[in-house]
Amino acid sequence: MALIELHHIVKTYDLGLSKVPALRDIHFSIERGEFVAIVGQSGSGKSTLMNILGCLDTPTEGQYRLSNRDVSTLSDDELADVRNLEIGFVFQSFQLLPRASALENVELPLIYRGVSKKERRERAVDAMKLVGLEDRMKHRPAELSGGQRQRVAIARALVTQPSLLLADEPTGNLDSQTGEEIVRLFLELHGRGNTIVLVTHEPKLAARCPRAVRIVDGLVIADGPGREVAMANAEALGAEALAQFLAADKAAQGARP
Amino acid sequence: MSDATFAVVPDAGRRAPGSLGAFAKARRFFAELRDAVVQAAVSLVSHKLRAFLTVIGIAIGITAVILIFMVESGMSAGFARQLSTLGPNTLFVHKWRWGANGNDWWKYKDRPQISMLDLRALQQNTTLPVAIAPMISTNATVSYGNKDIKGVDVRGTVEGYLDATGWQIRRGRFLTALDDELGANVCIIGADLEDAFFKGVDPLGQTVHAGPNLRCEVIGIFGRKGNSFGQSQDLRLVVPLSAFMRTFGAKRGLVIAVVAPDGKVRETEDEVTSVMRNARHLSPDQEENFSVNRQDKLLEGFNQMMMATNITGILVGIITAIVAGIGIMNILLVSVKERTREIGIRRALGARRTTILLQFLCEAVMVALIGGFFGIAIASGAAWLIDTLSPMPAAIDPRVVIGGVAGSAFLGVVFGLWPALSAALLQPIEALRYE
Repeated sequence: MALIELHHIVKTYDLGLSKVPALRDIHFSIERGEFVAIVGQSGSGKSTLMNILGCLDTPTEGQYRLSNRDVSTLSDDELADVRNLEIGFVFQSFQLLPRASALENVELPLIYRGVSKKERRERAVDAMKLVGLEDRMKHRPAELSGGQRQRVAIARALVTQPSLLLADEPTGNLDSQTGEEIVRLFLELHGRGNTIVLVTHEPKLAARCPRAVRIVDGLVIADGPGREVAMANAEALGAEALAQFLAADKAAQGARP
Repeated sequence: MSDATFAVVPDAGRRAPGSLGAFAKARRFFAELRDAVVQAAVSLVSHKLRAFLTVIGIAIGITAVILIFMVESGMSAGFARQLSTLGPNTLFVHKWRWGANGNDWWKYKDRPQISMLDLRALQQNTTLPVAIAPMISTNATVSYGNKDIKGVDVRGTVEGYLDATGWQIRRGRFLTALDDELGANVCIIGADLEDAFFKGVDPLGQTVHAGPNLRCEVIGIFGRKGNSFGQSQDLRLVVPLSAFMRTFGAKRGLVIAVVAPDGKVRETEDEVTSVMRNARHLSPDQEENFSVNRQDKLLEGFNQMMMATNITGILVGIITAIVAGIGIMNILLVSVKERTREIGIRRALGARRTTILLQFLCEAVMVALIGGFFGIAIASGAAWLIDTLSPMPAAIDPRVVIGGVAGSAFLGVVFGLWPALSAALLQPIEALRYE
């Protein structure tokens, strides 16, 4: 049984006068232990998809089954529990609580699960060690570098031992070297058996994932090994870029006397 | 740590959402509560000025309400003490009706004074009363040696006075029937006069002067009564009625105290009324030109006054609560706005709506309670000042403290509810995206 099953997911935003389709017919599944990149331009619907995968939003039509349970039928409280038990979020902007220490940030999801204080502390310390920040536990987020903050966020996502690690542009706010470290950390976590879904607009990043799903205008247009999807994308982009360049050049020449 | 810790955990052993055991739920609640309290404290500490201003508002309000009720209870206590000196079985025949509305003043003003004739009639024609004591009083200067004291309450009365009023003799004796018959120049002094005149001297047997030309020998000393409405009751001198009349004249009306036997107050009142009507030759259709008062009539007037004070207190309380509540609501709305992203983060990590609600209610209650504590502290200080600097006794009732704390907590919940609800009902995605 697949961990994630998306059955013809449709998401439409009702703006009153018009209805804007964000997702039109998304249909694929993700097995336990997979590392999947969801790649697409901004406005492609990938963020909407990620919100639905993370149980932060519900589809207008279709069915989303997570761990073989239909998530669209759950109440708000049950969704909160699903997020707590099944999903670990990693956001582009880290989303750490500024007034809490790194360790307290990592402990937070365990509070919502009723884990005893002692166990919370132990598990948070373990998670901090895993991301290599055992010497930064008492630091506030403001006292940490971007890469360190993202590591804290990853530790917080891992501390609950979620079924699914959901990362939204995790390297988007980092320089390339730090971004590379974070990517390696994800690859390592994947190596240990974690299921990871990584949402990104960078084909380069998608190319390093074992599997990539490319979304354009709310539709899946490519699904396969990350490298192939990225290549196909680059070719498409290349042709488009060339056409754009030629058009611009022509316009420039036409403008000349 | 072992690497296995962060490997995928199989479904077995993982609870389905919403099926936390009762124990884990309780533990979760306390963990969330503790977190909420810590977060609230951190939030207040990091916005000291904002929190301080709100706290001041609440504190002033709580102080005002506590002081109003304190003054009121002080007045009640004083009045109750005074009432207890009158005795519940005592009727007072008087020109004036007690507890009467001020508008009726003209009606009572032209009534004849209660005279010696009325007293004789009551003494001869009533059967029920246990004691009948006429009283007449004036303010006069009393002197001993070369010391003068002005404004002493000088009273003329007879034997039955102690029974009718509940005053007690600490030393010496009270007036006898013979003293009155002879118009003896004797007096009983209050504790304040004793203090003023007789330091190191035995007052008994000494002679004091009262008014223009009354010289009298001290034969007894009253027990101390203390203050009532800020006035000492112990600055007094009691002489036989006949001696009083001889000195100060009979123009002032009498008040005749009639002590009824237990359980026969109403019958006694009827008897006194009929004897008085006869003595004044009133025909059946004429209105009475005297009043038979009981202390509960006085109580009525007093209760009306207290109700006015009470209503004032309650109104001030309500206005205060609203003003303080708006302060709480304001600080909370700002806090919710500021922490919208944090709400989104918490929701993404598995906080339920009730968790968020709890968090912000905690903050509201904390602000309110701090305000409440300051208010109680300021009111206690004020009470201490009033108690030491003014003759009015003032003290903070522990019930007021409990009420203040409970009231401010309640205020926090009521006015924190709306901002907290608006935080709890935020959509997680929108909260996360909020800049």
